[in-house]
Amino acid sequence: MFSGNIIRFIHVGYTVFNASNKTLLSKLRKQTGYTFANCKKALELNDYNYSLAEKWLQDQAQQLGWSKATKLEGRITAQGLVAVGMEKNNAVIVEVNCETDFVARNKNFSSLVELAATTCLNHTASVPVGSHLSRFQLDAEILKSLKVHDGKTLSDHLALVIGKVGENLSLRRATCFHAADGILLAGYAHPSPNFQSSVLLGKFGAVVAYQADSPSQSDTKLRENLSVDEIGRQLCQHVVGMNPVKIGEVGQDTPANNPDDESCMIYQEYLLDPSQTVGEMLASTSISVLDFARYECGEELLENTENNSSKVAVEIGG
Amino acid sequence: MASLMTSRVIFNPVLRKTVKLIFSKELRNYQCCIRANKYALPVINYVRLYASEKKVYSREKPHCNVGTIGHVDHGKTTLTAAITKVLADKRLAEAKGYTDIDNAPEEKARGITINVAHVEYATDSRHYGHTDCPGHADYIKNMITGTAQMDGAILVVAATDGAMPQTREHLLLAKQIGVNHIVVFINKVDAADKEMVELVEMEIRELLSEMGYDGDNIPVIQGSALCALEGKNPEIGAQAILKLLDEVDKHIPTPVRELDKPFLLPVENTYSIQGRGTVVTGRLERGILKKGMECEFVGYNKVLKTTVTGVEMFHQILEEAQAGDQVGALVRGVKRDDVKRGMVMCKPGTVKACDQVEAQVYILTKEEGGRSRPFTSFIQLQMFSRTWDCASQVTIPDNKEMVMPGEDTKLVLRLMRPMVLEKGQRFTLRDGSLTLGTGVITNILPALTDKERQSLTEGKKAREQRLKAEQQ
Repeated sequence: MFSGNIIRFIHVGYTVFNASNKTLLSKLRKQTGYTFANCKKALELNDYNYSLAEKWLQDQAQQLGWSKATKLEGRITAQGLVAVGMEKNNAVIVEVNCETDFVARNKNFSSLVELAATTCLNHTASVPVGSHLSRFQLDAEILKSLKVHDGKTLSDHLALVIGKVGENLSLRRATCFHAADGILLAGYAHPSPNFQSSVLLGKFGAVVAYQADSPSQSDTKLRENLSVDEIGRQLCQHVVGMNPVKIGEVGQDTPANNPDDESCMIYQEYLLDPSQTVGEMLASTSISVLDFARYECGEELLENTENNSSKVAVEIGG
Repeated sequence: MASLMTSRVIFNPVLRKTVKLIFSKELRNYQCCIRANKYALPVINYVRLYASEKKVYSREKPHCNVGTIGHVDHGKTTLTAAITKVLADKRLAEAKGYTDIDNAPEEKARGITINVAHVEYATDSRHYGHTDCPGHADYIKNMITGTAQMDGAILVVAATDGAMPQTREHLLLAKQIGVNHIVVFINKVDAADKEMVELVEMEIRELLSEMGYDGDNIPVIQGSALCALEGKNPEIGAQAILKLLDEVDKHIPTPVRELDKPFLLPVENTYSIQGRGTVVTGRLERGILKKGMECEFVGYNKVLKTTVTGVEMFHQILEEAQAGDQVGALVRGVKRDDVKRGMVMCKPGTVKACDQVEAQVYILTKEEGGRSRPFTSFIQLQMFSRTWDCASQVTIPDNKEMVMPGEDTKLVLRLMRPMVLEKGQRFTLRDGSLTLGTGVITNILPALTDKERQSLTEGKKAREQRLKAEQQ
C-alpha cells in the first residue's frame, strides 16, 4: 500500500516534469522564433528556467547567426530585393540578395532591406555636400561595416536574419545621391509589394536626379496636368522600363536606326506616351535630367565598372 | 525493351551475332554483360522478360501530379530521391540520385524557360508525376504552362528547425497555384527528440489552419529521408516513406480524367455536305461523343441547341469518339453559316461565354521571343485560346502601373466579344506577330455593361477625359 503510493507519486511527478518542459519549449519557440534545436539547447543549459533561457537565446542569437552565416557562405544568392530610399535631398538605391524568392517575399527579409536602405540614407546625409550633385557607390564590404542606429553593424543584422530564415543573404551594392539645393531627386521601385514600408521595395529600382527650370509661357502644356514630382516619378518608371544606358546629348549622340535598340535616354520613346521621345517631353516641360541609376535585382555586372565607381565619389556638374 | 532484347539475343544465336556486330564499338560493356549472362543466367533473363511485360500494365493506373515544397535545407530533394529509391526496391520506380534531382534542369514549355525537376514513380494504386522547383516564380510558370498541374503537395519540414518564417510564403504559393490538398512530412526526426517532433507537428498544424487549410486533419508523417536513402533505421526510413506515400494515395484525390467530364469540342472547321447537312470538325477536348447526343454551340454572342446525328473519324463512322480524337460531327438542322471556327460544341449548359476574366500571366522576356519593353494598362492585345482569337483590353490590377518582360502578374482581360472561357483555361496573348505572354484563367468576372463595352474602343485622350470627368 505504502510502496504503491510512492510509485504512483514518482510516476506522476515524472510526467508532470516532462509535460512542463514541453510547454516551456513550445512557449520559448513561440516567443523567440528561434529553431527548436536552439530553444531546446537553451533550456537544457539553463536548467529549464524560462527567463534565463530566453536571455541566453537573445545573447546567443548574434553568435548563432554568425555561425549559420559562415556555414552558408558561398551559396549563390540570385534573388532578393532592391530598395529605394528618399529623404530630403538624399536618395539611395540598395540591393540585398537571398537564395529563394520565397524569402524575398518574407517580412523578416524586407525589414532587413529597409534597414539597409535607411542606414545608407543616414550615411549619405553625414557626407559633406558638394556644390551640385554628388553620387557615390558603396560595395559589399563598405555596406557590411556601416553602423546601424543601435550600434551594431549591418552585417550583424544580416547574420541575425540569416539565423532566422536559414538562407544565405548578401548585401550587394548601393548607390547614394546627395543633391544641392535646386536639384530634385525622384525614386521608384517595381513591382511595389503589397505591404507598407518606409522605403520603396521591388525587383527593379531607379533614382533620377533632375532640374526643373521655370517654364516659359508656351511650353507648359504637360506641366499643367502633372506636378514636377509626378514627372520625376514617371522618368524613374521610364528608366526602369526602357533601361537606358546613358542620358545622351543632342549633337554628340545620334539616334539608333531601330527605335527598339535605342539606349540613349533622350532618343527613346517615352514609356508613358510613346508618341514623343523623352527628349521632346523634357523640352516641353523645361526639365533636364542630370543623372540616373537603375538596379535590377540579380543582374550581372560588368567587373570593371563596379571597381571604377565603387570607391571613387564622382562629382557631376549641373 | 532492353531486357527483351537481351533474352532474344541469348536464345537466338544468329541475332546474337548481329547484335554483337552492332554493339561491338559503342557498347563494349553491354556486350560483356551479354556474354556473361549467356553462360550464367539464362533463366533469370527469361523472368525479366515477363517482368517487363507486366510493367506495361502498370501504366494504366490513374495518374496524379504532386510536388514538394519547403525550405531549401529541409530535405525536399533528399525526400524525392528517397521516394524513388524505396519504390525502386519495389520495382515501381527508377531510383534517382540526389544530384540528378537537385540540378533542376532548365526546360522549355510553351517557349518559357522553367527550372523544374520532373520525376516519375508509381505506388501500388497510382502513377505519379513529381515536380520540384527551386523558386516561387518557377512554380507559377509551371502552373501557367500547365505541363504538370499539381493536384497535391508534400510540405517538407525539418524537425530540428520547425516551420521557417518563409513557410508562410510556401503555403501562400500553394494556395495561389490551386493546391487544395497537402500532406506534411516531418524530416530529420533522427536528429530531434520525441517531444520536439510533437511540437513541430503541433506548430505546423496551427500554421496550416491559419493559412486556410484543414490543419487538424492533414496527415503528418514523421521520418528521415536520409535514413531511407541510406537504407538505415527502416522504421523512420523506408517504412516512413511508404507510410507517406500511402497517405498521399489516400489524401490527395485522383483528378477527374478528361474522359469522364461532359464532352466539349472546339470547332475548327465547318463543312456543308449536300444531302446530309453541316459537319463540324475539331479535336474532342474532353468527354465522349456519341450519335444522338444533345449538344449546344456557344460563342460569338450565340447559343444554338441541336442534336448530333453522326460522328466520324478518318471518313469512317465512329460508334463513340473519346477525348483526344480528331472528329467530324454531323449536326441536325444547323446551317453552315450559323456555326464557325472559334465556337465550342458541348453538352448543353456546361459552358458559358463571358467577356471579362482575371488571369495569371507570364510575360515572355526578349530572349524567349517576347517584347523588350514593359506594357501599361489599356494595351490592346489579341487573345488566342482553343480555336478562337479575339481582341482584348488588358488592365493591370492592384495599383501596379506596368509589367516588365519576365514577370508573372495578375491581369484583367476584357474581350470585344463574349467567348467561351473557363477557369483553368490556357491562352496566349499576342501583339502583332509577337507572342507577349501566356496565361491561365483564374477567375470569371461579371459580364461587361454596355457602357464598359463602349469604353473598350475609345482612345487614350477620350479615356483620360472620361476618367477626369468621373473623378469630379
